[in-house]
Amino acid sequence: MKTVAFDAAAMAGAVASGEVSARELLDASLARIEATDGRVNAFTEKTLARARAEADAVDARRAASQPLGPLAGVPYAVKNLFDIEGVVTLAGSIVNRSDPAAVSDAFLVRQMQAAGAVLVGGLNMDEYAYGFTTENTHYGPCHNPHDLTRSAGGSSGGSGAAVAAGQVPITLGSDTNGSIRVPASLCGVWGLKPTFGRLSRRGSYPFVHSIDHLGPLADSLAGLALAYDVLQSPDALDPGCQALRVQPVAPLVGRGTAGLRIGVLGGYFHDNATPAAREVVALAASTLGAHAEVSWPDAALARAAAFIITASEGGSLHLRELRTRADDFEPLSVDRFIAGALQPVDWYLRAQRFRRAYRDKVNALFRDWDVLLAAATPVSAPAIGTEWLDINGTQQPCRPSLGLLTQPVSFAGCPVVTAPLWPAGTGGLPVGVQLIAAPWREDLAFRAAQVLSDAGVARVQPAQL
Amino acid sequence: MNDTRMLAYVETTAALLKLPLDAARTQRVAVNLQRTAAMAALLDEVPLAAHDELAELYRPAAFPPNDDERKQL
Repeated sequence: MKTVAFDAAAMAGAVASGEVSARELLDASLARIEATDGRVNAFTEKTLARARAEADAVDARRAASQPLGPLAGVPYAVKNLFDIEGVVTLAGSIVNRSDPAAVSDAFLVRQMQAAGAVLVGGLNMDEYAYGFTTENTHYGPCHNPHDLTRSAGGSSGGSGAAVAAGQVPITLGSDTNGSIRVPASLCGVWGLKPTFGRLSRRGSYPFVHSIDHLGPLADSLAGLALAYDVLQSPDALDPGCQALRVQPVAPLVGRGTAGLRIGVLGGYFHDNATPAAREVVALAASTLGAHAEVSWPDAALARAAAFIITASEGGSLHLRELRTRADDFEPLSVDRFIAGALQPVDWYLRAQRFRRAYRDKVNALFRDWDVLLAAATPVSAPAIGTEWLDINGTQQPCRPSLGLLTQPVSFAGCPVVTAPLWPAGTGGLPVGVQLIAAPWREDLAFRAAQVLSDAGVARVQPAQL
Repeated sequence: MNDTRMLAYVETTAALLKLPLDAARTQRVAVNLQRTAAMAALLDEVPLAAHDELAELYRPAAFPPNDDERKQL
């Protein structure tokens, strides 16, 4: 078996050129999973027969000189809330174990398959996506590959850890309040939360219909762009998909940042960032020549509204099972689900009415700015089991507070690329920087990210496992 | 709302929704709801006018891209 040290984009190129076969890439991925996942616990399901069939199909196409997709032969895995044909969609729960197996793939899994990517399995997550740490009591916590005693973040913790551990170069996750950006930050990988409504959610298990997003994580910015471009497609059958056409970013990412107005978010985003998080934002800002401090409107109010809508919709979604099987739910989140179900309707409606006015204020901000920077998490990865965080002298509950800096941004629906940076004083642990753009302008966030990547400031570092 | 009244609220609304809660869970849910109440109080201070609508609006169907169907009948 060949030793493979490529990133996602290089893998696709190597398969296309014949330097390596899809089957060899798959075998290398499976060997890495076998060697490391007993300690990382990223995978909850392996789709070996399917993976071999998909890899062999790619190799057969190449042997027959047929055209290959842009991700031909690249192994990937998905958070276990994506439907995989023939597999029960767990969404991190044991309640769903008795559901029938999915009869077809999620829309985005089909997009990846059409691009030639090879599905290796399903990934660990917080139950029903309600958490930021992937401390899943049913399937065990997901461990951070850079320090196994620490959290991988969540709720797409398996998606962040699998990339950081070098098991697969691309994963898919979901992000309602930060669930792609938090694990990307804590695991030191690239992540994209696209514009709300950009990618189809059909065939994924919902959490909060009003705020759920799906997106990719990757071991390189080029891989992230490749994955994002193949995931794009209008989907008239998904009421949440608002995109009417594909807008590829890959041709645009190298355009540089000349002429872009880039600012740094102060106020709430500075106050809720510890020194390590402030350090990576400062490094990204200096690399991008961003000097102006910008005030994001109503960030604390937006977080409160997102919290209330999340609890209310999540609690209502699971009310039937909460009535009869509450003891089968995740102990770390079941009480929040129940509390959400009991919220007065005025709280929910007021939060939704606030959101409309808030959106207008955020969109107005982007008349003056193209890209805005903020840390993705207040801290680097906390130890698994941490109850309280010290954020600049204030004690905050750890699990909800990991989303302090992501929640106001997803509530507005803006696209965000999370770039992996490596501050001093964290024992070698990363903290991500959010590159935030106006709705439908993922291309601008990617352009800024490319500058950070080219400068070597943002990069994925191999985990010593 | 004080803790006693919040406990009573949780017991009453849970009963209304047919959610069985034991005493320990009732207590924990009340603590969670008390935290959320503080956030709701922040939003309660935001001035919203009668015409400030919900962020999400029901659509009976996508608006047609052209008038072709109207010409057929």
